[in-house]
Amino acid sequence: MLTLLLDIITTAAILFIVSAGLLAIFGVLKIVNFAHGAWLTVGAYCAVVTAGLGLNPWLALPLAFVAGAVLGALTERLIVRPLYARPLDAILATWGLSIVIGQLITLWFGRDVQFTVSLLSGTVDIFGTAYSLYRLFALAAALVIGIGVTFVLEGTRLGLSARAIIMNEALARALGLDTARIRLVTFMIGTGLTALAGVLLTPLTSVDPNMGLAWLIGAFMLVMVAGSSFGALAVACLLFGGAQVIVSTFISPILGGITIAVLSALVLRISSKGFSRV
Amino acid sequence: MSDTLTASPRPFAQRRALILGGLAVAALALVLLGPLFLDRFSLNVLTRSMIYAILAITLDLLWGFTGILTFGQAAFFGIGAYATAMLLTHVGSSPALIGGALVLAILVPMILGIAVGWLSFYYGSTPIYATVISLVFPIVVTQLVYSGGTLTGSSSGLVGYMGLPFGLEGFFRLSGLCLVLVAIGALVFVRSDAGRVLTAIRDNETRCAYLGLNTQRIKIVLTTVLAGVAGLAGFLYANASGVVAPENTGFVFGTELVVWTALGGRGTILGPILGTIGIDYLSANLSGELPFLWQLIIGALFVVMIIFLPNGLAALVARFTRRGRNEVVTGGGPTLTVSAATHHTQQGGGPLLSISKLEKSYGSHKVLEDITLDVAPGELVSLVGPNGAGKTTMMRCLTDGKERSGGTVRIAGQDIAGMTPDRIVALGVGRKFQVASVFESLTVADCLRMARSALDTPSCIATAHDLGLPQAAVEILQLTGLDRLLATEVSLLSHGQKQSLELAMVVSLEPRLILLDEPTAGLTKAERTTIGGILRKLTAEMGFAAILVEHDLDFVRDISSRIVVLHQGRLVLDGSVDEVVNSEIVKTIYSGGENA
Amino acid sequence: MRDTVTQADKLVLEGVTSGYGPIAIIRDLSLTIRKGEIFALMGKNGMGKTTLLKTILGLVAARSGDIRLDGASIVGMSPKSLVTAGVGYAPQEQPLFQDLSIRDNLRLAVQSDRDLDAALDKVFGHFPFLQGRLAQKAGTLSGGEQKMLIMARALMLGPDLLLIDEISEGLQPTVVARIAEALRAERAANGTTILLVEQNLNFALSVADRWAVLKLGEIDDSGTTQSDSRARVLEHLKI
Repeated sequence: MLTLLLDIITTAAILFIVSAGLLAIFGVLKIVNFAHGAWLTVGAYCAVVTAGLGLNPWLALPLAFVAGAVLGALTERLIVRPLYARPLDAILATWGLSIVIGQLITLWFGRDVQFTVSLLSGTVDIFGTAYSLYRLFALAAALVIGIGVTFVLEGTRLGLSARAIIMNEALARALGLDTARIRLVTFMIGTGLTALAGVLLTPLTSVDPNMGLAWLIGAFMLVMVAGSSFGALAVACLLFGGAQVIVSTFISPILGGITIAVLSALVLRISSKGFSRV
Repeated sequence: MSDTLTASPRPFAQRRALILGGLAVAALALVLLGPLFLDRFSLNVLTRSMIYAILAITLDLLWGFTGILTFGQAAFFGIGAYATAMLLTHVGSSPALIGGALVLAILVPMILGIAVGWLSFYYGSTPIYATVISLVFPIVVTQLVYSGGTLTGSSSGLVGYMGLPFGLEGFFRLSGLCLVLVAIGALVFVRSDAGRVLTAIRDNETRCAYLGLNTQRIKIVLTTVLAGVAGLAGFLYANASGVVAPENTGFVFGTELVVWTALGGRGTILGPILGTIGIDYLSANLSGELPFLWQLIIGALFVVMIIFLPNGLAALVARFTRRGRNEVVTGGGPTLTVSAATHHTQQGGGPLLSISKLEKSYGSHKVLEDITLDVAPGELVSLVGPNGAGKTTMMRCLTDGKERSGGTVRIAGQDIAGMTPDRIVALGVGRKFQVASVFESLTVADCLRMARSALDTPSCIATAHDLGLPQAAVEILQLTGLDRLLATEVSLLSHGQKQSLELAMVVSLEPRLILLDEPTAGLTKAERTTIGGILRKLTAEMGFAAILVEHDLDFVRDISSRIVVLHQGRLVLDGSVDEVVNSEIVKTIYSGGENA
Repeated sequence: MRDTVTQADKLVLEGVTSGYGPIAIIRDLSLTIRKGEIFALMGKNGMGKTTLLKTILGLVAARSGDIRLDGASIVGMSPKSLVTAGVGYAPQEQPLFQDLSIRDNLRLAVQSDRDLDAALDKVFGHFPFLQGRLAQKAGTLSGGEQKMLIMARALMLGPDLLLIDEISEGLQPTVVARIAEALRAERAANGTTILLVEQNLNFALSVADRWAVLKLGEIDDSGTTQSDSRARVLEHLKI
């Protein structure tokens, strides 16, 4: 029972980590970055490179953030910026980008599964139940990301500007905010966070050029339901992640895999705003 | 309007039919004779490519023509393939069962198509939501296949069933024949009057709804029919390849279809066919030597294409070959005829429009409050008041039964509570929007035909040679000179011409009540005078009722039979032109002294 | 009447045409506003007043003509660079971030948080009620208080040129009087040039030095503020 509860909480945490970058971009830019999976993959390969160079595996985290942000800057300038007025085409163009990134990684590293050094291993004892230390660490990481994002949004000028753009972009522009720069920086933070999430995923999944794809749809659906609110994202992760764990445990892991997508679609059918008012 | 050219419609249509016939014969010859000079590998690959091309056509109709970006066609295809393979594997194989498999492969996707359509398209649904559903659907289908155990063969799929007893050449010819038939069907349909409705929905769905078309139902029917076609392709695939696998149902396959369609050129039918066959065939040939580089090139090309050439390679070709698309065409098009009124001929007693205690609020903020008003046939009522007085909100409440928060609105005695715009249009209400709301990529004649399609059901195969419109609409066209521009694409018209065209479209609905939101915004003095004359004639002589929201008070004074003043959501004055113009309240409101 | 001979031109519009999509809202409009003057542009709804302000600020692109600020052309400049150059703007439509605090609304008007405290002190002088209510959400203010917050935000940077869009709309006469007072005080202290777009002619004529009436995107009539102005403008504004 306790294991189930921990599974639910840590699954929600992992989903939150994986979706946070996508939400940041969607919330401010109103663009779905369908190359999200590719950035998770890029992050995971940063861990592979770090391991290959014999460096401390924790160094992969800052490396991935920087790599993700730099690639994100290029993407925003070259691909996303011309498509702000065509959001459906932006989905397609970023999907095309993910094909390119996936093939580049394949050309460089081959299509085989890569192994990375585990960041944390073993289990800890919680009230007599042995539980994966790394999954607990993921919970902490999700909290750190959540608090970090909240701090940026609520406590910094950049966050205030981003919120202003989310609420009323025309007014933000009229007041002289540099909306182009804020979009660029937001996109970089989003892709940086996503690559970071890719590193955090490495102990949980195998690393191969298509690993990000498995996470894309789940993250996409959660973000659709969450709108532009990180609080709503946390709620969605807890509810739908919990449902996924329960379905996987008691019915079938395969059906568990579609729980999030189906529930999100139904929630959106009932209310097009999803959980964004939470 | 520098380039004008004259076209005569009949030879043009005939030439097009000839070209289409020639293409069909050539394509048929290719698919029938192909096996004589193609090697086994090419036959195999091209059979598959042609089946995929059928799918690309269905995607093009949905996305290129109607504007619905979907990844779901792959799932309908997979369901058709699995229905075939499962029946033949688990029940057995006989000619009757193969026939049964064909029926199942088409029917099951269609039934699911209704479900997906119902989920995706409802009043107020967004394009992105339909795309979301189209992503979820293939994922669900794939997971169900994985969890199907021996029934679906799980991850290894189904193989070894006995399908149609054709050889390699036979399947090549069968697939090719099906492709040619589907392609001809699609080409004929999109050029027919009914096919233009799809483009109209893509251009301006709101306008379609306000022309009395139930766009959601049209999109559901389209999804359903095309799900059946995708199922047919699945049936062919299951027979020709002898194996079905979970990948055939998946979201990734759905995205590949989108890539092929986009590269070939959405909205052209032929582009996606050639794109699909070309890329799939090249992929099969090149993936041996340049496995990942090839995918990389396709991906990069796709990105560049989406950004710089969103209409694909076909757009490049069309830029050099297409005539009459980017020029103003004088003359040509269908023949204008005056049709007798078919609609709303009986006139009931009582007021045409009766508003009682109408209220609209957002949260605690009341935009409209306690509005009571009757309008009778022949009246031209102007609605005036400062910004934020609630004029446009009131127009919305009269044309969308879900808008208001309280009170009743009756049109010809019928309460419109909960009605969607298309049903209110059917009661005899036409609405002209503030910014000319027309269909940019259709011709003038097609726009007018669209306005008639709720009354005269359009043909699915032909383009009518006559265009029957009510007397009033024909007069508007003649007064504004639009009757000579019937074959011209609307995007080439001036702003004033678009405003007049929209008015003609609204009048073509044979409404009893016309609502006009700033019909003269951005028009020149001469254009205003023309529109004003038309409005006076429509109401005073022809017995239409009209409600006009207008800022140009000189214009209002000239043409109104009655003026209603709104201020801060309330009706403060309702009277004749003289009464209102000389009233103290209006002077106060407009000089900003006291607040009412 | 003030002497106009020595005054330089602050804002000059020359043959400006602009609008949305195919629709021209402003047509070949020319207008000169002198340094330190308060100019009232009046006209009924839909005559292009708001579009004109947005065109000056670069929010709507001018299709033809020239706009000069202190003699230099500003056509094509971004709103950000104009704000930096000393243009303040009080918009009419959705003018506040309703869900942000008063402090955050004001904070968005300054380019850097370092300038915030000084700017806040400045606007507290005009509208003292803001001082104690910085944490309150803008959306919870009354209509009149919201208008004063919009004015305060436009005054934060001490602009040289202030563009104000129908600030008096829907306000009690007492609040209108306070805003008029703030405008006069700001000009007296800093020599601010103010372009006022208005429908409330009592308010407009009480603060302005000169006025013009805009009709269908063109200047229909103009003059200096005199005793007979009211009747003349009302003739244009009435129904």
